[in-house]
Amino acid sequence: MKSFFDKNYQTPLWFRKKSDYKSEDPQSRRQFLKSAAGATAIAALPVMPLSAKQQEQSLIQLNKLKKIDPWLTLEATLLHLLPESKSAVSAEVSPGAKSINALAYLYQVVTVQPTEEDEKKFIIKGVGWLNGFAQSQQGKPFVQLSVEQKEVTLRGISNSSAGSNWLSTLLAYIFEAMLAPPAYGGNPDGIGWRWLEHQGGFPLPKAGQRYFELPTRGKAKDQITIREIEPIKSSTRYTNVPLIKRANKA
Amino acid sequence: MNKINYDICIVGSGAGASPVAYTMAKAGAKVLVLEKGPWLTEKEFFKDELAISIHDAYNPKLSDEQHVIEEEYEDEEGNAFWQGEKTSDSGWSWWNGTVVGGSSNFMSGYFHRLKPIDFRLKSEFGAIKGANIVDWPIRYDELEPYYAMVEREVGVSGRVVEHPHQEPRSTDFPYPPVDEVPMSSWIDKAANKIGYHAVPVPRAVLSQPAMGRRSCEYSGYCSSYGCSSGAKGSGRAALLNHAIATGNCTLKPNAKVYKIATDNAGKITGVHYYDAQGRQQSVRAKTYVVACQAVETSRLLLASTGGKFPNGLANNNGQVGKNLLFSAGGTGSGDFIYDQLNEQQVNELKVVGPFVNRALQDWYRIDDKAFTGANAKGQAKGGTIDFLFHQNPIARASGTQWGIDDEGEDKLLWGEELKQSIKQEFTTYKTLRFEVFNDWLPTDDCFVALDDEVTDKWGDPVAKVRIGFHEHDLEVGKYLSVKAEKLLLALGAKNISSSVSSYPSTNLMAGGCRFGNDPKTSVLDKNCQAHEVDNLYVTDGSFMPTGGSVPYTFTIYANAFRVAEHIKQQWLKKA
Repeated sequence: MKSFFDKNYQTPLWFRKKSDYKSEDPQSRRQFLKSAAGATAIAALPVMPLSAKQQEQSLIQLNKLKKIDPWLTLEATLLHLLPESKSAVSAEVSPGAKSINALAYLYQVVTVQPTEEDEKKFIIKGVGWLNGFAQSQQGKPFVQLSVEQKEVTLRGISNSSAGSNWLSTLLAYIFEAMLAPPAYGGNPDGIGWRWLEHQGGFPLPKAGQRYFELPTRGKAKDQITIREIEPIKSSTRYTNVPLIKRANKA
Repeated sequence: MNKINYDICIVGSGAGASPVAYTMAKAGAKVLVLEKGPWLTEKEFFKDELAISIHDAYNPKLSDEQHVIEEEYEDEEGNAFWQGEKTSDSGWSWWNGTVVGGSSNFMSGYFHRLKPIDFRLKSEFGAIKGANIVDWPIRYDELEPYYAMVEREVGVSGRVVEHPHQEPRSTDFPYPPVDEVPMSSWIDKAANKIGYHAVPVPRAVLSQPAMGRRSCEYSGYCSSYGCSSGAKGSGRAALLNHAIATGNCTLKPNAKVYKIATDNAGKITGVHYYDAQGRQQSVRAKTYVVACQAVETSRLLLASTGGKFPNGLANNNGQVGKNLLFSAGGTGSGDFIYDQLNEQQVNELKVVGPFVNRALQDWYRIDDKAFTGANAKGQAKGGTIDFLFHQNPIARASGTQWGIDDEGEDKLLWGEELKQSIKQEFTTYKTLRFEVFNDWLPTDDCFVALDDEVTDKWGDPVAKVRIGFHEHDLEVGKYLSVKAEKLLLALGAKNISSSVSSYPSTNLMAGGCRFGNDPKTSVLDKNCQAHEVDNLYVTDGSFMPTGGSVPYTFTIYANAFRVAEHIKQQWLKKA
């Protein structure tokens, strides 16, 4: 795939599963997930959480990395999606991507959190596709565009389903950077909660207590040693029958 | 063969398991608890939306452990057939808290008792075509002392009020009600105005420190979150900690039981499990208890085949896994728009921390000839309606990125448009929600079997669950939702809506190993002992032949205390 406009692009299962946690109604979530039938599951790769020191170093590294792509363009995109601004009705400054540490949060999503490899690749590859599109339309990479040109460019890619999915992915991480516990790298001092008059809970996790750092589960032997390979049974499950979901049981 | 080292071995550690461990350890018996998940304490529960809902961190990854869910479809010729889908493909997790204490760590703790009519549903309302309704082999008054015991030992905070559907009680609540938000009194007034009775919800949350546990700290994040103060009455905080303190109870976390082995005479020879490192281990006891939550309990019995039990342990009459139950019903909501309220009302609405704590049970027994689901006498079993606020902010923000463009098409928002959209979502209104709980009628189309292809990470067949429902459940759910919507209207809420669905509530499950007097139609006797195996008991929600119209945890606790008393008496006789 070379651009957001590739005709062969199909929204992958990881995106459907994620984009759907928004739905508060488990039944509508269920209906939505069913429409993903036929897609294959992607196994998550093993994760090696970084130590606290490594994480600190990785954030220092981010300050260098954001001068070059992909982080250079990702930062410019996040800043455009959620600009810092003054409220029209009060003197209050509403926090943007910079104030909520959106780039640092996204960096942790890619380097610290156990995010699926396919998703990480999609985020990174999107930078190339965005710059390709900016170059073809405006003759410059994305970061060099004016605010107006950036707007036109992002609107342009949002008309493709891959582009829309890429922007949705970044927006979902903006929400997490704004509203997740600060230990994950965003929402410093609860700035997002304050802006939205939301009361955060307590106690909050600290580094070392985040969802991927909780005590581990029992392992199966094949997670430790190599397992004997058994012949694969042929499937008896229906796979390609055209289905009409029954609304109700008679 | 291993020596017998324990008086009793309990598989699982949640609401069905912990009362048995507690009762037997206090009586002096040597108890072993085997739990598949890790052992977390108050120190490892946080108000972390990423852990609880977005990444489901207290449950197994679906690629490691999953279910196969069978739904009914029809082909182009109109022929019905059932087809399974792996939950690793659908993303629909059926796990409810795979840690020590199980799902009781994450419950809302609405502790409504069943009512006398729930024990004799068939006698009260008659048969319904297509539903396997039976009366229970025990009456309400046999369980009542154990409801009172749970209120004391697990800790239930509440307040008795007279109302038309109040069940008989031998005692008052041992703890005063938990704090309530100011708007709870709005519900009382509105209910009164339209002739409803708003009932304070008994809650398995301590309103004051007791039994070595702290009081509720009112963080505002309770339902689906683990409790860090110990106030929530999980099996772990309320019972297992005390069981272990006796010195008589050993708890092995990360121990996944895969088979209960039997000899050719049908006698249990041991429980086989994988330890934390995946090594096969086995253990023997004089008495065995299975309480892994309904689906997994049936799965373990079905997987435990032996010479005398070719179809699974205690399953020679083909009853294991059958008549699985969920909670039928639905959800609804209404919005309170700040612009339309005065300052004091808005401030009252914005209070976060205490509980709404109101329920309606006016239609626990429906007496309405106009109701299409009623019997010839115009009666039907109804249910319970509970009110609540949601608090998760990331879930609330999600969706604000969608707007409508000039042509009426969906448009992704960003920049100032997005900021306005988020700000409006969070600061201009508040949504009051309700949940309807009514009976999920037992049918031949709702059961647990073993899948013949899909295995878990240890190589054992996963549970396959067929989730057929009875049309009657939807009729009752809709009837109750309309009643709940009327209360929202009386409250002045806007954008009122509700949705009743045939999909099961996977956090509310029971049945699969019915108790009853006839071995041909039930797995367990009235003491929840297997008809076919002398020293095997099932003490989770699996025993329930019909489910009632309240969340299950309270009744699971009460029944497990009842069965624990029976096991204790048997043990004392032999000792």
